[in-house]
Amino acid sequence: MPVPQQLGRGDRMGRGPYEKSGIIEDTGLPPGKEVRERFDIFFPTEEVEDENGKWVTKPTASELDLEVKLWYLPFGTMNADPFLWDEFKQTVRISTTGK
Amino acid sequence: MKLAPLWVKLSAAAFVICAASPVFAEKAGIGWQEGIAAKSGKAKTMAELAKMYDSSSCIDCHQDTHNDWNKSIHARSIFGTSRTAATFKTAVINGLMEWPYSGVKKPEDVKVEHLMGCAKCHLPQLADAEDSVAKEIIATIDNWQDALKKKDNAKATAEADKLKGLNINCLICHNRNAITHKWTDGYPQAGVVYGSKDGDHPSDAFPKMKTSPIMSESIQCGQCHGLGPNMELDNPTQCCTSYGSYLWAYTAEGGSETCQDCHMKKSKLGHNMQSYRDPGMAKAAVEFKAEARAFHWRDGATIKPKAVVKVEMVNHAGHSIPDG
Ligand code: HEC
Ligand code: HEC
Ligand code: HEC
Ligand code: HEC
Ligand code: HEC
Repeated sequence: MPVPQQLGRGDRMGRGPYEKSGIIEDTGLPPGKEVRERFDIFFPTEEVEDENGKWVTKPTASELDLEVKLWYLPFGTMNADPFLWDEFKQTVRISTTGK
Repeated sequence: MKLAPLWVKLSAAAFVICAASPVFAEKAGIGWQEGIAAKSGKAKTMAELAKMYDSSSCIDCHQDTHNDWNKSIHARSIFGTSRTAATFKTAVINGLMEWPYSGVKKPEDVKVEHLMGCAKCHLPQLADAEDSVAKEIIATIDNWQDALKKKDNAKATAEADKLKGLNINCLICHNRNAITHKWTDGYPQAGVVYGSKDGDHPSDAFPKMKTSPIMSESIQCGQCHGLGPNMELDNPTQCCTSYGSYLWAYTAEGGSETCQDCHMKKSKLGHNMQSYRDPGMAKAAVEFKAEARAFHWRDGATIKPKAVVKVEMVNHAGHSIPDG
């Protein structure tokens, strides 16, 4: 959403339309432009002792359920009228063989 | 002795101004006296203001249009989803009453000029009312909020209905606000509905149809859909900025559709102009694609498997979303 400036001065955001004047930034989607987001999510891991007595990092799961939700927040937070626009679900797997 | 005639002249001039003081301030342009408000004089009550722009006679012949319009938030433009009425009140308490030079110490001090910072778009016809109407609107919001607190549902509904009775109806878009460039195209006239053609109109109160050169243009909507700070006010306000975004982020980048193209025609919603709460509008607005995969990433000797999710979004509306 457009983050309005308070009374057209300084670094404070204004909230009510009576005190909003100016825009500090716009976190919304601009028209006609592709917006890309990339998320890197690590698998949960733990330290385990291998057969040679060496401590190594091993994933605790080989599958991850991913969910991406596009929320529309007309008032900028999940507390006021959030609207679920679209969502994406996929389970991704890593191999359990090899080293 | 030389001063005397000058004094006489001045007081005569002052007298003329007082005596001829019209209900409306003189305008420089030609033909404004033929408008609905100039002919009927300023409204003194909310009921009088509702009557001045009474669109109920249109229902007989334009039933479908009326039904569509009635579903849109234009039909409740100072009540809104109830948040709008509540924010009018906040504007008085947290704005006007806090500012040292506004002239408002208590809600009863509110005048039309104070509310125009909101009414400019939420109820432009408030400009055709006396200060008593501004006070009555604020008092009605008070009564509505009181009734809600006391859980008096009947009263709350009655007060809310009173607020909903003032809105952006047929006569606001097809008469009062149908012409933006009044020196070029003339001031809107009483008895005329403005649309896409000239001719006779089979209604007693509005016997003529005239062409409004902006009815199918984005500026018709832009009058109320915001550019940024409303600089013409003594204390600028800012609410919706979709017209500004449309001009600078959409048409400036090659976008060619009008507000009407998307909101009335392609949407097939006609006068039921809607945002994302209409599933068709939500779908038309955002293209959303995502893909994901996982692999064993290696940080030096340490294996750190990870998933990578890539999301692509394109907003196909004619302005930034959300608006704000
Ligand atoms: C008695 C029936 C009747 C009533 C009442 C009536 N209209 Fe109409 N209106 C019509 C008809 C029929 C047309 C089409 C006339 C034509 O195309 O020659 C029309 C045309 C119009 C147009 C022009 C449409 C265009 O294509 O440009 C507008 C705007 C309009 N009416 C608005 C209103 C409004 C606002 C009211 C209420 C104040 C109203 N009408 C009341 C019958 C009516
Ligand atoms: C430049 C025109 C304009 C002005 C001035 C204006 N508004 Fe608005 N306002 C709108 C429009 C148009 C919308 C709805 C569009 C949108 O959702 O982006 C809106 C939306 C709102 C909303 C959100 C409603 C909801 O339920 O989400 C509130 C609350 C509101 N206005 C209150 C006010 C108050 C109070 C003032 C005066 C201090 C004011 N507005 C001044 C045009 C304006
Ligand atoms: C928010 C502004 C707005 C309001 C309120 C509004 N109209 Fe319209 N109306 C328009 C616009 C804009 C068009 C032209 C659309 C286009 O480009 O085709 C239009 C077109 C029309 C037409 C021409 C035929 C059509 O449907 O396109 C008629 C008749 C009409 N309106 C009647 C009404 C009546 C009756 C009401 C009240 C129930 C009403 N309008 C309320 C903006 C409005
Ligand atoms: C006379 C002023 C005025 C005109 C003209 C006008 N609007 Fe509005 N519009 C408003 C106001 C005020 C609201 C918000 C009411 C509220 O929520 O309190 C609104 C709300 C809307 C909404 C709903 C926004 C939401 O968040 O749900 C849409 C969509 C919309 N208008 C589109 C249009 C289009 C398209 C046109 C031109 C054909 C137009 N408007 C002409 C004042 C106007
Ligand atoms: C290219 C098509 C297109 C054009 C042009 C367009 N809109 Fe929209 N508009 C949409 C779509 C789709 C949505 C639904 C997304 C949403 O609600 O955010 C929308 C939403 C809105 C909203 C609600 C914004 C919100 O915060 O949810 C308002 C208000 C609005 N439009 C007004 C206008 C006005 C005024 C114009 C012209 C100045 C206009 N639109 C031009 C497609 C368009």
